[in-house]
Amino acid sequence: MIGLARDGGAILGLIVIGGTILMAALAPALSPADPVKNSLIDRLAPPMWSAGGSAKHPLGTDTLGRDVASRLLYGARVSLIVGLAAVVVAGVLGVALGLVSGYYRGFTDDALMRLGDVQLAFPVLVLAVAVLAVLGASLANVILVLGVTGWITYARIVRGETLSLRQREFVEAARALGATDRYLLWRHILPNVLPPVTVVATFSVARTIIAEASLSFLGLGIPPPAPSWGAMLDEGRNYITTGWWLALFPGLAILLLVLGINLVGDWLRDQLDPRMERSM
Amino acid sequence: MIRHRRSLILLLLLTWPLAAAGQPAITPPRTVDGVAIDPDAELVVALADDTTNMDPRIGMGSIRSNYIRQVFEGLVDVDAQGRPVPGLALSWKPVSELTWEFALRRGVTFHDGEPFNADTVLFNLDRFFRRNFDKWGLKDVLAATSFEKTYPFVTRWEKVDDYTVRVHTSEPAPTLWDFIGREPMVPRAYTLKNGVDGLNDRPVGTGPWKMVEWKRKTSMVFERNDAYWGTAPLFRKMRFQTIPEGAARIAALRAGQVGLIEGVPPFDAPALAQDARLKVVSSPQKLSCRLYLNARPKDKYDSGGKDGLFADQRVRLALNLAINKDAIVKKIFNGYALANASPVASVSYGYAAQEAYPYDPARARTLLAEAGFRDTNPLTLQLLFPAKHYGQSFDEMTPAVAEMLKDVGVQVTLKPVDFATLLQTASKGTLPPNGGFAACRTGNNLDADDYLRDWAAIAMINWAPYPPELMSLYTATRREVDAPKRLKLLADLQRQVRDWAPVVALYQEVKVYALSARVLRFAPLPELNMDFRGVAVKR
Amino acid sequence: MRAFLLRRALHAVFVLWGVVSAVFFLVRLTGDPTPFLVDQTATQQEIAEARTRLGLDRALHVQYLDFLRSVPRGDFGTSIREKRPAMQMVLEHLWPATVELAAAALLLSTILAIPLGVASATHKNGAVDHASRLASLFLQSMPSFWLGLMLILLFAVELGGLLPAFGSGSLRHLILPAVTLAAAPLAQNVRLIRSGMLEVLQQDYVRTARAKGLAERFVIYRHALRNAAIPVITVTGLSLGFMLSGAVIIETVFSWPGMGRLIVQAVPGRDFPVIQAGVFVFALIFVGLNLIVDLLYTVVDPRVRLT
Repeated sequence: MIGLARDGGAILGLIVIGGTILMAALAPALSPADPVKNSLIDRLAPPMWSAGGSAKHPLGTDTLGRDVASRLLYGARVSLIVGLAAVVVAGVLGVALGLVSGYYRGFTDDALMRLGDVQLAFPVLVLAVAVLAVLGASLANVILVLGVTGWITYARIVRGETLSLRQREFVEAARALGATDRYLLWRHILPNVLPPVTVVATFSVARTIIAEASLSFLGLGIPPPAPSWGAMLDEGRNYITTGWWLALFPGLAILLLVLGINLVGDWLRDQLDPRMERSM
Repeated sequence: MIRHRRSLILLLLLTWPLAAAGQPAITPPRTVDGVAIDPDAELVVALADDTTNMDPRIGMGSIRSNYIRQVFEGLVDVDAQGRPVPGLALSWKPVSELTWEFALRRGVTFHDGEPFNADTVLFNLDRFFRRNFDKWGLKDVLAATSFEKTYPFVTRWEKVDDYTVRVHTSEPAPTLWDFIGREPMVPRAYTLKNGVDGLNDRPVGTGPWKMVEWKRKTSMVFERNDAYWGTAPLFRKMRFQTIPEGAARIAALRAGQVGLIEGVPPFDAPALAQDARLKVVSSPQKLSCRLYLNARPKDKYDSGGKDGLFADQRVRLALNLAINKDAIVKKIFNGYALANASPVASVSYGYAAQEAYPYDPARARTLLAEAGFRDTNPLTLQLLFPAKHYGQSFDEMTPAVAEMLKDVGVQVTLKPVDFATLLQTASKGTLPPNGGFAACRTGNNLDADDYLRDWAAIAMINWAPYPPELMSLYTATRREVDAPKRLKLLADLQRQVRDWAPVVALYQEVKVYALSARVLRFAPLPELNMDFRGVAVKR
Repeated sequence: MRAFLLRRALHAVFVLWGVVSAVFFLVRLTGDPTPFLVDQTATQQEIAEARTRLGLDRALHVQYLDFLRSVPRGDFGTSIREKRPAMQMVLEHLWPATVELAAAALLLSTILAIPLGVASATHKNGAVDHASRLASLFLQSMPSFWLGLMLILLFAVELGGLLPAFGSGSLRHLILPAVTLAAAPLAQNVRLIRSGMLEVLQQDYVRTARAKGLAERFVIYRHALRNAAIPVITVTGLSLGFMLSGAVIIETVFSWPGMGRLIVQAVPGRDFPVIQAGVFVFALIFVGLNLIVDLLYTVVDPRVRLT
């Protein structure tokens, strides 16, 4: 953790991320109202400091009279879950396949890498739209789509690292001593590929949060009435002139969180592997 | 944008032969309502989507109609109130119980000079009903509505003289003027020579606008038909510009890049109306949004042996009483919607206003309990909801409706699906017994029958088929040729359908347009299309 | 070189086969397109007839083999919605709209990134560095539909129509969509170049070059940038996919008649031939451009050999 104290950006980033996690965790305690229950009578109330606002809804209400502050708090959960879970799906899949590919080489390697080539040459959004049309939009399916389309990046990095690691002396030595493949992969190779993977994963969390918002714009995001920052921003875009608070707060929340994650990612990269971004 | 045409002389030279060949040139007015106008202006109209075809037979959905009806016309036209008025036919009347006669307008030509007459109408009838393909050398005509299946009682058609056509039926057909009259007419020689591709790429009609350029998914440019038989538009050029994103349409209007936009979000309307450079106009539409609930008996869908849960009339009525229509209209649509308890659109011929379903959650709970659904055994509803299809207000309304149903004890699961999946489910009949969907019903016809036939035959939007007594009343409306008697039957049927409650009525749409104050005399139609005849642009 | 090209050609054919097969089966999983072609009141029988007319009632393997046979001819059938050749529709949207937008965004995101990244690295922790890092972070932290709408409101409405809100065909029309599309890759490239430069500037050969008394500008652009450019080329190769298909959101916001929107819209419309043709063209371009990227490596870095 050298240099964290000197990197003001990273500290800021950690504060933002920590704050978001806290918001998400304490959402039920902090929320002034139910985030899903709607009440048309209270529709489009402005934030408390504007004319016509009230302390009952500190950040105003949305088009269905739901409390924006509460939706923002609960939305932090959805955005974090989507960002993290999709990256975990992609990361686990990518690391596993990358290890297998780089370690065993041969036909498995060829098959997996060609599969990756095919997937890269397939337009991601067409895949997302089609898969969500088949499976239906839901939190789990959005995570699945965002996760499964991301494995190839990790697989390529891990494969490259594994290819060079398996030739290295300490691995050769362990093998000479009769270590099994499984032991080698777990104890020697995996720990060494994790640092670059961590850096890529950090940036991916940020990108996934943005991608979730984009899916909402295309009508494929987290289905209503569950609050997600992306869906809130998308709903708010038709009210830019009549209800500016609808888009402003989720927009700011996304901006800050993504900014924070990227700042931490920058710092992690400097710490773990300065040559990292080559393989991204 | 409203642009001036500098090369006026060139245009005059180009259009001169047409004007000379057609009717005597009339000097267009230079002022409208005392305001000087620009007869050479170009009006840019922003629409959410482009049409996919121009051949009317391929379909007349809400997007297509808007493009197609600028170029093509039917025998029956509509006025600003949606009433039938003479179009390519001057009059239509039943000459016997089983025969309708259309008297055609004389001196009408298609944009390429082909005359419109009885032969044109016979050719079009053959296209509608897919008959006499051998005679025309046609292989097939793609069609959204199979006239031969929907109207099997139409038996033959004949030319009495060059401007009179008779259509014969095997049973009385009081709405024949509507379903045949509203269908746009295509030219015979041009279609035979250029085929459907010709109609699609370079459509040639009798309408007030000639299509001169079409960049797919971008824009369609029209030029005024100077040989038009009726009141032509008072400006020369029009461009239908595709701008999919609502906020971008408003931005383009405020920036002065377009002169008219459709689909204004209800809460933007007051803000736009306050802008001195802009106007906001609106009109009720033939678009009724409802919850369709599975009330089919088990042999009428892919059920797994169970009747639809909503087959009990009390349940459907209860759900109607649970919906606060007033809140929906005022709070979500800012007043730009109608609560309509009749199954027929308020602007259709034969519409009879019905007593509203009151908002009465207590009574709704009682009715549900009578039907056997109490808190210990609650009614469940799996509601399919096509998000991002009917617009933002619809997307806001559906969760609000779900909430209202929950308030009377219905356990609603909202399931967003893409529109195609909804269509597939509805057309295959694979809703679960406790299933339903939110959708809007639109129509291209003027008569109430367009709506009332929904529950006659099993089709994708019929999830509550008429019981025998309603079916016989419906059949009676289909057979009664005498107009006053038929109107009475229609009113009677609407009242009974209202009580029987095949769907949960939510709202009827009011379409909102915003336009530059320089656009004069634009009156929105209660139809799917816009009408620019007589519209002028201020100099 | 010849062996390399042959290998890559075989590889490309394999990838294309994989892509067209994947899209063929994927679209058929999304269900039946016929309900779109008939009226709301159509009966089951009418729907079944429409399906037969489209040939969708044939056995799946028959359809697949038929499809594979017609792909090499460039024949992807007729659009179900527009009744026109699907390939023609895709090509109409590819040229000029998609090519213009993608090329402009590609140029913006790479060419603009070089001076910004270099300035950032050579003035590490200076005002330029902070400003460019902050701007990059900012651009990467906004969904593109939001950035696009804000740009429209600012340039088309608030600044009195300085730039148009929609349309295509001129440089003025291209600016806003290209900037929006380029924003995220530009930000990423600036940061890549910055960190790459920082690393390279520490290395021996750069120090040697400096020690030899070569001009600083020469050192930076001749030696350092060359090495820092490699990750940029890699990432650009990968982000080409985004430029081509991810453009759908920008195309929607700016009413840009590109290929991305055509293909993505064809999915809810279940226009199988258009989806198939579009995905094929996309894959073809992607594979072709990545081949160029590979060749570029050898230009930038002589150590890279083609095998």
